[in-house]
Amino acid sequence: MKIIKLLLVLFVLAIGSAATVMYSGIVNVAADEPHSNFVYWLLEETRERSISHAAKNIKVPDLSDPELLLTGGTDYEFMCASCHLKPGQSESDMSVGLYPAPPNLAISSKTHVGHEHDDDDEAARRNFWIIKHGIKASGMPAWGKTHDDQRIWAMVAFINQLYTLTPEQYQILTAID
Amino acid sequence: MKTLTKLALVLIPTMALSLSATAHDPSLHVKKAEKADCSKMDHSKMDMKNPVAIAMMKKCMKQSKADDHKMKEMDHSKMKKIESKAAKKDDQEHNH
Repeated sequence: MKIIKLLLVLFVLAIGSAATVMYSGIVNVAADEPHSNFVYWLLEETRERSISHAAKNIKVPDLSDPELLLTGGTDYEFMCASCHLKPGQSESDMSVGLYPAPPNLAISSKTHVGHEHDDDDEAARRNFWIIKHGIKASGMPAWGKTHDDQRIWAMVAFINQLYTLTPEQYQILTAID
Repeated sequence: MKTLTKLALVLIPTMALSLSATAHDPSLHVKKAEKADCSKMDHSKMDMKNPVAIAMMKKCMKQSKADDHKMKEMDHSKMKKIESKAAKKDDQEHNH
């Protein structure tokens, strides 16, 4: 009985502490003020685990059709490039201003510092899920609300090739017909 | 007149304020619908088994066909008239 009472007191204390922090306004939500290392790790781990779990059963179609690069390229230029950059570009207003910073998709994921990437299929599944569903409170929209799966897979196919493109190749593939 | 003055009073400060809100490089915010620049494509260096090369070829061929189609749709009969008018004008100038 004593243990139950103790647990109940601890529970009320925890709720009270959380409510105090929440309503006091001391949490800084400014995007130009980074999280502490611990909070960043906590949020990043939660995000990565969530995406891996949600995307694990997605079947990756054949992404080698060149036609996919044309559809995906045009969509990438108009929907993604302002944040995720393009060949020959190292930053933009959005890539600098957003927090957490959007990944630079114009460079190979193998050169990303601080975190590892999975195999090609795993990366394709992950990219498809993120493009379709977006990520809460990160600036990443859920494009699945306005784009069908076929168009999203075309974007995934384009992103797979993006880091290999020169600025000239990118211009041709993303231009309007 | 009063309505015009009111509109001017609202619109001018609004436009002035929106112009002052531009970021450091306005060109970054302009999305232009550009045509593919196929002149820089080096066919000799292209591996035609590579999906990127195939996609680029498709894009440029499609654009070339569209340009040809536009040329065919132009009314050449009117262009000849303009040319002949210009030629006549030149002739007249030479005769003087």
